[in-house]
Amino acid sequence: MTLLTDELQAWIGREVTYEAHEELGRASIRYFALATRDDNPLYLDDAYARAAGYPSVIAPPTLVCETCQYAHRPPDESGCIGHEWRLPIAACGLIRAGNDYEFFRPVLPTDRVSVIWKLEDITERPSSRGGTQLFVTSAARYVNQDGETLAVNREVVVYQPLVPG
Amino acid sequence: MIRPTIRAASLKVTDPMPTFHRSFTSVDLMAYGAATWDWHRLHYDLDYARSVKLANVVVDGQALGAVCTKPLLDWLGPRAFIQKLTLKYRAMVFAGDTVRGEGEISAIHAEGDHDVVSVAQHLSVGDRLVAEARVEVRLPR
Repeated sequence: MTLLTDELQAWIGREVTYEAHEELGRASIRYFALATRDDNPLYLDDAYARAAGYPSVIAPPTLVCETCQYAHRPPDESGCIGHEWRLPIAACGLIRAGNDYEFFRPVLPTDRVSVIWKLEDITERPSSRGGTQLFVTSAARYVNQDGETLAVNREVVVYQPLVPG
Repeated sequence: MIRPTIRAASLKVTDPMPTFHRSFTSVDLMAYGAATWDWHRLHYDLDYARSVKLANVVVDGQALGAVCTKPLLDWLGPRAFIQKLTLKYRAMVFAGDTVRGEGEISAIHAEGDHDVVSVAQHLSVGDRLVAEARVEVRLPR
């Protein structure tokens, strides 16, 4: 039985956009730095950041791709408030296989970061546990209020059948 | 006083980056989830984690991106800019684990008016490889 149904293939190429509700903000940057135990003064100290050549404090590199600050909905049953495709795949576990990030410039607290997710590809491949599994590749593009692309995050998640076969 | 930024001319392929360690408590997982607006139960709800047959609450895999870029930027200096980061996840990391990271310079090349240093990293918990990272860092010439 194939996991990659016609219904699922129809999802390839879909896009969804999440508009920013506000600027990223200094609080979000400081909160992320605290949570990651990162005391780099570039994230905390305007004077230091300016002396290093930046217009203000900057965000740690992965924050822009990590934050679901664009979210504005109640949590679902798993607690998630961020992007989910909710693909029609039954009886599978989900694991993250990898992320490929590309960053174009330091992100500033004044950036309003909207996100465009695109489902790029779904492939079915043999699993070492028997049967097959699905590899879903999505790309998120992070764009500010001026239409400037700040970063791209391409990620692959794997859907593995809970019962091989 | 601004720390100096290392120039690529002073580096060579196979140079090691500083080894790093990062432990994860349940408070760390909560804080990271809150700071990224990621409220998924996997990261703080032990009953939920067990319901999906996991032994403990799970570190967000993407948090390893912050773990592996922080020591690089601390090492290379304030004008270093991460332009690419590739993470391949090999195993889950759980609350209570300590990740050990090590890496070395795998390539150096010129790109326009700056240089790009590639660093290959391995992140492990004990003997278990949990992720591999390749990071491209842009350095002023």
